[in-house]
Amino acid sequence: MLFSARFRQGMRAAVPIWIAFVPSSIAWGIAAQAHGLTLQEILLMSALVYSGPAQFAVLAPLAEGKSALQVLIAGFLMNLRFLPMSMTLAPFFRGVKRLPLALASHVVSASSFIVPYLQFEKERESNTNKIQSVEGDRNLAFFVGVGATSLLVWIAGTGIGYGVALGFPPGFEEALKFILPGYFAGLLAVEMRDRVVALVCLASLLAAVPGALISPGWGWLITAVLVATLGWGLKARK
Amino acid sequence: MTRVEIILIMGLMAFAVRALPQLFFVGRQFPDAWDRLLRYLSYAFICSIVSITLFMTGTRFDAEAAPYRGLALAVTIFIAYKTKRPVMGMFAGALLVLVVSRLR
Repeated sequence: MLFSARFRQGMRAAVPIWIAFVPSSIAWGIAAQAHGLTLQEILLMSALVYSGPAQFAVLAPLAEGKSALQVLIAGFLMNLRFLPMSMTLAPFFRGVKRLPLALASHVVSASSFIVPYLQFEKERESNTNKIQSVEGDRNLAFFVGVGATSLLVWIAGTGIGYGVALGFPPGFEEALKFILPGYFAGLLAVEMRDRVVALVCLASLLAAVPGALISPGWGWLITAVLVATLGWGLKARK
Repeated sequence: MTRVEIILIMGLMAFAVRALPQLFFVGRQFPDAWDRLLRYLSYAFICSIVSITLFMTGTRFDAEAAPYRGLALAVTIFIAYKTKRPVMGMFAGALLVLVVSRLR
């Protein structure tokens, strides 16, 4: 599968993802270094967790020595979004053996989900992809071509970010600390289209600090769950 | 539990979330309502993280820094929205925070 024509096709399709990953991964490396994580911890997290939002989300609680359970729940909640992505891709890998399928699933991310999914849908519509066993293997090669190379770029970028952060002179801590919330806010501003989502975001932004002041460990988590559930109920009533 | 151990468990949990649907739910999809709840939960969580990271240090509310950090957040959102480049917005906000914090 490795370096097959289909894998190389996936690599070519991934080039825009690599470009997008460079600043984001460097930003993560800088932020993680500013929060006191070691290079080994930063690289390990990028390789094993491979999720920008989850990595950013657990950064502060992990660095501040908050309870392991809190960090794990925070990361798990952030990664729940991979469930529907993984399920949506599954039909295209029909006939693939379980072990390669399980290993390949590690590279599921928002970007490496969208590119293969759109490619597979396009091929299915043009009737070239019947999702037979042989197509399942070819699709997996394409998917790994996108996902595995993007993962490598992500890991390399975090290492570079760590090095960049070490080169910053003292007095830049305030700006470095802004990178984490700034990155999130920027992503949200670009991706947000739904009015209910905008409402959920604003309400969570306002409720988190009072929640954290009432209960420093769990308050903001509880307010986030409450606001999301309220937004969900609101959308269901519409 | 050490930080490395926490990271290892996080990695296993992330892997489970990615692999299990492919292995056990092939051909099925979440109902729309569940899909929506997961999405809202992610957004609410991200915004809460933005808020506490920006406006709190430990268990304390940073009342003095809150106004200019809030302004930098607004600038970030505006630039990211207009240019469709989140990283550009992020760097603009960080630059504003840097300048204002040095002037104070």
